[in-house]
Amino acid sequence: MKKIIAPLLVGAALSSAFAADDSLKQEVEALKAQMAELKNAQSKINIDALKAQMNEIKAHDAGDNIKWTVDFRTAYDIVDYKVNSGMIPAGDTKNGIWSNKLILGMGSQPADNLVFKGSLAAYKMFGNNGATAYNPFQNMDWYSSETPDDGTIRLREAYFLYFGDIGDVHYSASFGRRPSVDGFMTNLRAGNDDPASPIGHNINMEFDGASFKFDLDKLTGVSGMYFKICLGRGNTNADSKYGAFDNYMGSITGTQLYTTALPYAKSSLNSPNMDLAGAIFQIYDNGQYKVMANYFKGWNMMGADVSWTGVGVDGNPGTMDDTYHIALTDVGDLTGGALSFQVNGIGDGISDFLDDSIFFFSYAFSKTDPKGTHGLMVPGVGIVPMTEMLGSADKETGTSIYTGVQVPGVMKGQRLGLEYNHGSKYWRSFTYGEDNLVGSKLATRGNAYEIYYILPVVGKNLTAQISYMYLDYKYSGSDMFFDGNTGTPMTAAEAAAAGMGFVESAQNVRLALRYRY
Amino acid sequence: MKKVFGLLVSAFLLVGMMSTSAFADAAKGQKYYLKYMKDGSGMNGAKFATQHTQAEWKALFDGKAEKFVAEYSKKYPGLEAFLKGDKFEKFMPDIRDFCVEFASDSGNVPSC
Repeated sequence: MKKIIAPLLVGAALSSAFAADDSLKQEVEALKAQMAELKNAQSKINIDALKAQMNEIKAHDAGDNIKWTVDFRTAYDIVDYKVNSGMIPAGDTKNGIWSNKLILGMGSQPADNLVFKGSLAAYKMFGNNGATAYNPFQNMDWYSSETPDDGTIRLREAYFLYFGDIGDVHYSASFGRRPSVDGFMTNLRAGNDDPASPIGHNINMEFDGASFKFDLDKLTGVSGMYFKICLGRGNTNADSKYGAFDNYMGSITGTQLYTTALPYAKSSLNSPNMDLAGAIFQIYDNGQYKVMANYFKGWNMMGADVSWTGVGVDGNPGTMDDTYHIALTDVGDLTGGALSFQVNGIGDGISDFLDDSIFFFSYAFSKTDPKGTHGLMVPGVGIVPMTEMLGSADKETGTSIYTGVQVPGVMKGQRLGLEYNHGSKYWRSFTYGEDNLVGSKLATRGNAYEIYYILPVVGKNLTAQISYMYLDYKYSGSDMFFDGNTGTPMTAAEAAAAGMGFVESAQNVRLALRYRY
Repeated sequence: MKKVFGLLVSAFLLVGMMSTSAFADAAKGQKYYLKYMKDGSGMNGAKFATQHTQAEWKALFDGKAEKFVAEYSKKYPGLEAFLKGDKFEKFMPDIRDFCVEFASDSGNVPSC
């Protein structure tokens, strides 16, 4: 039996071996055919065409090369005003407001010496806000991205930078809508690592203009030293196209009606061009110690010009029962300046806590220079045509101090901040764009206190912030225009004697979640 | 309103407990660069960071950044004392993050 089985097994093994050999040959042949096809196909590829295609893609991308960033915040604000008397009901007035704030950042750099930066913003309250239509100043150009209302996307920043070198001096020239919100020091409470251009103590608002910066550190050997000239226009006196229909239902004279028939011509219905020129001088910055100063002059500051028609019930013109008209007009010029100091890391290696703590102190001033004549409402007297700013015919100086610390929180990455500022009777700042709902704390004529806590949820991409702000007003007229109708500083007693309301204090609590990438 | 506020504060504290812990910070790295490295390198931070791509920086800072210390101590002798000192060891993660954040291929556009 074994003799029979053995040859059979050998035969079976040989036949399967021959079969496997055939199969292998077939596979090799198939592979050879595929290789030939591939070689054939490869030989037909037009490298030049591919190169051309790559160039087309590159050119397309180069022309569509904005790098976008997202800064989105959902917040719940509680505002609380304490009013002592007057036309607003006395007592506490509170409200709770949900809002969404979106900032889309843009950046592109087509060449080593040319950069574009910009941002678009929408800041809205939850749901509808019907009050916006009745307030012409809700979206004023100085803070149009900082006041929540509807979902309209507005231009927050848009400017280009051109770089170059003159010997040891590196310079940049820039035109456009400026990065002028949340500047030096105020970037801390905003939770931003990098400050925008100006000193936030006295300039924190949106405006259009230009800047010319000269780095002097190599020339002087002083670390971080630079000098920057800033120019801006806060109001353009130009009527709109088909302007004759502006104020169609309002009270304008025949002469005014004719002047508005010329598109973008100057209009007597508008305040004159309002311009600002200033200088920012970074005296020193070594990463730990930073000293900055600024000085500016603003021309043709706008204020309310009040006039009346009729004589009312009492038969006397210019009294409270007449019909009033309010327009914006040039009330004078304003100069100002600040000197600010920041320590980023207290001491050197004393402790991790101090190494990671930030302290700052800043002093600022403002000085009025009244000009022109406009109608001022004088309590108990009526409307008086006069030359004045902030309710005074004299040049008045206001001063302010601003100080604060930001220290590490309980867990790593968390930050606790404490801030205080004080403004004198005639203090006036350009901080209309400050990010809170009760009005600029840095404009306060009195004392303002703030505490905030920032904690990372997903690194720096998702953060939570809680803040509390208390504004204790000693004088009225903070954060208003430059005239006496809106900006006269009065104590609570003076306001009460004149039969006017006085906001003694304002509070703003904010809870926010913020996404950035 | 008090109820809403109370709920939100509770949610805030909860979020705080969920938050991630330690992470390096590019902004701090920028500060340390300015304070300890700018004079030695003779250039500003933006220019320094664009010397390498993100992948190259990560490779240089791998481990205890031995490759970075060796290359940059040789390239900029003014940096040697800092790079071989205790402070660099402490601040290295922040400086690495700063270099990666503003690397030549980061897509970051420098500001004024």
